[in-house]
Amino acid sequence: MDIFGSFALLLAFFAAAYALCAGIAGVLSRRTLLTKSARHAGMAVFALITLAVASLEYFFFTDDFSLAYVASHSNRALPAFYKFAALWAGQEGSLLWWSWLLSVYAFLALFLNRKKHPELMPYVGATLAGVQIFFLTLNNFVANPFHVLGGADASGVMHVAKVSEGSGLTPLLQYPEMVIHPPMLYLGYTGFTVPFAFALAALLGRYPGEKWIHITRRWTMVAWCFQTVGILLGAHWAYSVLGWGGYWEWDPVENASLLPWITGTAFLHSVMMQEKRGMMKVWNVWLVFTTFMLCILGTFLTRAGIVSSVHAFAESSIGGWFVAFLAIVLAVCLLAWWKNRDYLRSDNQLDSLASRESSFLFNNLILLAACFAVLWGTLFPVFSEWFTGSKITVGPPFFNKVNIPIALFLLFLTGVGPLLAWRRTSSDALKRNFAWPLTGGMAAGVIAFVFGFRDFYALICLILSVFVTLTIASEFFRGARVISQRDGVNFLTAVGELTMRNTRRYGGYVVHFGMVLIFIGIAGQAFNRDVQKEMAVGQSLQIGPYTILCQNIDQPSNDNYQSERTTLEVFRNGKSEMMLYPERRTFLTSQITQTVVAIQSSPLRDLYVVYAGRSPDSGKPVVHAYLNPLVKWIWFGGIVVVLGTGLAMLPNRRAAIVLRPATEKSWGQSATSPVSAPIRRTDSND
Amino acid sequence: MINPGRAFVACLWLAAVSAIAPPLAAQQAAAPALNSQQTQRAKTLGKRVKCMCGGCDDAAGTCTHSGGQFAGPCDTAKAELKEIDERVARGDSDDLILQSFVQEYGPTVLIEPPKTGFNWVAWIMPIVVPIVAFLLVWHLVRRWRHRAELAPAGGPPISQELLSRAREEAQKDLNE
Repeated sequence: MDIFGSFALLLAFFAAAYALCAGIAGVLSRRTLLTKSARHAGMAVFALITLAVASLEYFFFTDDFSLAYVASHSNRALPAFYKFAALWAGQEGSLLWWSWLLSVYAFLALFLNRKKHPELMPYVGATLAGVQIFFLTLNNFVANPFHVLGGADASGVMHVAKVSEGSGLTPLLQYPEMVIHPPMLYLGYTGFTVPFAFALAALLGRYPGEKWIHITRRWTMVAWCFQTVGILLGAHWAYSVLGWGGYWEWDPVENASLLPWITGTAFLHSVMMQEKRGMMKVWNVWLVFTTFMLCILGTFLTRAGIVSSVHAFAESSIGGWFVAFLAIVLAVCLLAWWKNRDYLRSDNQLDSLASRESSFLFNNLILLAACFAVLWGTLFPVFSEWFTGSKITVGPPFFNKVNIPIALFLLFLTGVGPLLAWRRTSSDALKRNFAWPLTGGMAAGVIAFVFGFRDFYALICLILSVFVTLTIASEFFRGARVISQRDGVNFLTAVGELTMRNTRRYGGYVVHFGMVLIFIGIAGQAFNRDVQKEMAVGQSLQIGPYTILCQNIDQPSNDNYQSERTTLEVFRNGKSEMMLYPERRTFLTSQITQTVVAIQSSPLRDLYVVYAGRSPDSGKPVVHAYLNPLVKWIWFGGIVVVLGTGLAMLPNRRAAIVLRPATEKSWGQSATSPVSAPIRRTDSND
Repeated sequence: MINPGRAFVACLWLAAVSAIAPPLAAQQAAAPALNSQQTQRAKTLGKRVKCMCGGCDDAAGTCTHSGGQFAGPCDTAKAELKEIDERVARGDSDDLILQSFVQEYGPTVLIEPPKTGFNWVAWIMPIVVPIVAFLLVWHLVRRWRHRAELAPAGGPPISQELLSRAREEAQKDLNE
């Protein structure tokens, strides 16, 4: 079976290599047969990697520890659920998983467009194959998950050494979210390869118009959505498993996942300028290139061990491969852009600073500033070591100081953008649109201040959150009121109708509202409290309105772990409210101890209780209780963001009328046959 | 020959010393008592130095030592926090306390880059780069607007037929 998996991987490598070579040859010679065979080879890569993945899973599920990778990341007592997830628990398996997800995207991109865009797709196929070759090189020759345990005897004959039991899966990964979080994040990382491939293909093939933007819009949103879910699941995992009371610590690997998300967000906004006004073409192409390169950089940071992180894989020599690949990608992008830069000339100019275009421009600027600040802080320890010889720590306080003002400005722009019209907004419209949201925001700030809200950033965040929410509400209200009055339907029906008529615009507003909820949740962090106390049975501690009484301590266990669990009764105003069971598990195979946090979550606050174990000094059980306000808003905001993204991906119920000459050029270029230009309906993309 | 009186006094001394010594020793080993303001200062300082155990990336004041036997401050973090408490009780300034940690462990002990020498770059760059980018965008916007103003008014000819058809379609859509 190991030979089967290895062979499938090797075949996948050759298939990808053929897809690349045949694709390039097909493009150069313009032979359809070659491009068609390249496409088939590209799709075959998916089938071959699927076989390799299935083969590795077979080893996990049959407890066959003849493979070094399986022996290092599984054991017999591991639940089946986690045996599946053990596939991506280590360097080799996670790279294989990466290749597989990439092959899924490549297959779908090639299959769904097999009869469309014949001039563009050969370039797309070749680019996708190029990226696949890199990862398959790693899978086959650098980090092969099919290495068998064993060695050569005195006569030089190789023997397989099958161990009877594996080392088990890292306890940190034995958590349900860990089965979902890495695939989501990887789906995000790998998903950005598709818009990258289309952008590069459009540039290389000088594909006319903004077609590549239309084609990749949904692909980019899918990748962005997965990345969002992956990041939030990671934050939720950190919150629920690590037991330090927080969800984001600006760890280099966390930062690595945030970087492409930020540039991807910038791209999703700036493409609208290209679609609407034919502007920012160079910017958009480079945003896609940068997003893809940041995905690779993030993978490099996680895997090369150049920055210290609790998430990172063991230090390995794999980093050089990523650096080389990044250099090649950068060179190809630079060359493609330099040779075809005239193709990216803007059709229009900015008419006014008070316009939606300029708000997108500044939104992009701020997003890139945030991206730079995160990247800079992540890499500064490496730079400082190069320049001064001593490694400087760049911890959460640095990132918070630098990024909070940037994030708040971004939140402000989230509110401003929808209130500005394309091209130019009159001063009257500015006053009219901004009056209520600004008044509402300021009023909320004053009320909060009067009620003792004194944290500066939290106060600003509250004001901006109310402002943005009111701008979104006013957008829905104004549109729905027109429909309601015109069609005689009730207001809620009108809201639904309005949303479904322009899903992209109103889905986008829902995403913005989700982000507001996330910001409010994050602002709650300013009011966190915690108490740690030694607690024998019968003793209690007080935190906020809660009294926590230790009722019992027991030691439940199973084949996988031994546990020490506390039974805590939580009282509020003298009334028993709930029972919590925080515990510490010691995993038998690895002897690693892990906290299992008990969280009582409500929209207002989380009561987060950790059983820290027995005090090394007194031997008494120690309970650490945290009161974290508004954390639930973050997770709920995440759900709203996902729903909004899903909504934005839906087709419009009724197409809006857009007048456009058949040549698909701007008005300025349609002088050739103005009379014969037909009027047709297209999707409105606002 | 032993004088019984002196021996009795010596025994009394011994008893007194043995009664007083352990609590004194314990008092020396325990963290010094701090008032609430000092406790707050010590807590803040504890979050500004890194736990140097090498097994976690936490600040000493927030060390939960994930994966360790005890999910609270590890021995290294506790020693660092105790040192902070002692120095705060002694009346040392924040800078002096942090400096003593830098001398002991190197600059890596500080949870954020110190604002000295090369490390200023860490703080300056996230401010300078957006400002430069902002100025560039501003310049770009001004240039675009200037070009837009210079562009000939009117644009390409649009036929009356096309315009009227467009108006009709728009009117029809509004009436729907």
